[in-house]
Amino acid sequence: MDEKIYILIVEDELEVMDALIKDLEKFEEYFPVESANNANEAREVIDYILDHGHKVGLILCDHVLPGQNGVDLLIDLQQIPEAAKSKKVLVTGQAGHEDTILAINKADLDHYIAKPWTKEQLAEVVVSELTDYVIANEKNLLPFMQILDSGKLSDAMRKNQLTDH
Amino acid sequence: MESNQGISWLNDTETILRFIQRLVSELDELKDHLLVLKENEVLFSQGEPLEDVYLLLEGQVVLTRTQADDSEITLTTLNPGSFVGLIAFTTGEPTLTTAKITQQGLALKMKPQQFEQYLSDHPRLKHPLQQLMLNNMIQRYKSNIRLQTKTHLLNKELGKERDDLKKAYKRLEETHQQLIHQEKMATLGELVAGFAHEVNNPASALMRSAENLIEIYSTFEESDSTYKLFKLGLQSEPLDSAELRKQMLKIEKQFPWVHERASVRKLAQMPDNALEVIKDQRKKLDIESLTNHFEAGRMIHNIRIASNRIANLVKSLKSYSRQDQNKEEFIDIREGIKDTVLVLSNRLKYVNLNLHLNDIPKTCVQVGDLNQVWTNILVNACDALNDSGEITISTKHSDDQILIEITDNGPGIPEDIIHRIFEANFTTKNQGAKFGLGLGLPISNEIIRRSGGTIEAKNLDEGGASFRISLPVKSDC
Repeated sequence: MDEKIYILIVEDELEVMDALIKDLEKFEEYFPVESANNANEAREVIDYILDHGHKVGLILCDHVLPGQNGVDLLIDLQQIPEAAKSKKVLVTGQAGHEDTILAINKADLDHYIAKPWTKEQLAEVVVSELTDYVIANEKNLLPFMQILDSGKLSDAMRKNQLTDH
Repeated sequence: MESNQGISWLNDTETILRFIQRLVSELDELKDHLLVLKENEVLFSQGEPLEDVYLLLEGQVVLTRTQADDSEITLTTLNPGSFVGLIAFTTGEPTLTTAKITQQGLALKMKPQQFEQYLSDHPRLKHPLQQLMLNNMIQRYKSNIRLQTKTHLLNKELGKERDDLKKAYKRLEETHQQLIHQEKMATLGELVAGFAHEVNNPASALMRSAENLIEIYSTFEESDSTYKLFKLGLQSEPLDSAELRKQMLKIEKQFPWVHERASVRKLAQMPDNALEVIKDQRKKLDIESLTNHFEAGRMIHNIRIASNRIANLVKSLKSYSRQDQNKEEFIDIREGIKDTVLVLSNRLKYVNLNLHLNDIPKTCVQVGDLNQVWTNILVNACDALNDSGEITISTKHSDDQILIEITDNGPGIPEDIIHRIFEANFTTKNQGAKFGLGLGLPISNEIIRRSGGTIEAKNLDEGGASFRISLPVKSDC
């Protein structure tokens, strides 16, 4: 599989970033993880990934960042057609209700994880979001059966076969 | 000579009165117009058209006026020699007053047309009557002037009293705000104390667990590669994501046999001496278990850093929100500034903060209160900058003054409000004020004033606002 689906983490605190990457280790075999410490770097990384013919399946984004904040970044990303497809999750201990509502309404925010998170909770959100992503964007769902939500994937595959005929 | 006489006549009502009384006794037609005044009777009432004018010969009449609110005021007391109903008589308009007899007596009652008649029929009467009338008018005019003057003085006094009241009210408002503020701070102090206790427990548990883990690892042999990797991991600093990407490319070349991306990343985070250990040992042990020991060290390092941060934040929060608000301390003000910056780190992380905290002498202040001042100014600056820009805090001192300056490079304070920002009750924030009461600057002003200092704000030529606080240096408390 040449074309890769990336998970992007945007987080400015290095220890927190470290912890997030560690918790996502088991996904890396299928979904390489990339990281950025601020919004600008996140944009560069996304551009790089897209320019090389890959995709960004999931963005886990902190809200409190130096420079542009997470919610605004996610809203901006909706303007890029390819990035608009990415699933977007806000991981934060900060955002108030207003920011969260804004992100849900404008950035098509898919989930909200409050810090501190648990490994299980994070994994659950990642599985669910990436499953939705691949169902919406990938033709061949079979390779993801092992790591993502197999039940949902097989349902989707059955439906696909029905529509194909 | 004649004119002099005329003036003396004017001043001598009694003489005129006597003259008129003599005429009345001599002229029968005048006698018919004599009216006996009985006490408590009303000659005429306010607002009525007046048919007669009365010349009071004996007794006393009081003029009163009923006001819009139905209250009655006494205007003047008329004595013999006075005309009653003179104004209405001369203007022909309804009477302005009510005339009530307060002492029985005699009056000459005349209809306007008769009055004219007397004047022309009795030349001897004409002159004294005219004089008397003029005299009456003059008296009224004089008393009018006296009243005007009195009213003016009273108004002035009233104005002063009103100003005093205003000031008192303002002071009351200020005190009220201050009380609310103090109450709020006291509550915050209590909350923080409880919170600090609750957070310090898990923070201690984290720190202790980290140290215990380190001890467990230290039972390995010093020469053991496992222990070496663990120790190097413990000393490692996390790389930022750009650096990490660079290192990962390097690792891919150096360790072509490592395919897993997660493993590449782990190796990328290792210093060269750790990578040497990995290269040496890779024949004996698999890459994963080797990197895991380094990772274990890194994790514990992270736990240490994180739990230390928690402990420091709690410490700052505690010292920031001092519970004994009203206690003065002999202290270096910069400590309070540092606490405030740390407590506000969440807000300040968006801006570039420059600290030029030059040495200043200790002084006697209420640190908790002063921290409020720094907080208010810094939060305002963050608001003005819309969370992107630069804030500079600097301290310096002269012999007897400590100067703290906080500047930002935002849009500055609108010129139309800059002179009002320290006024009590002045706020540009509305109900949605995110911090405090939105009364930060007036309260700051009050706090600085109480400390014997001054606070001023100005806009800088190059843009941005600057707050200068000067506090007196006190050698002890």
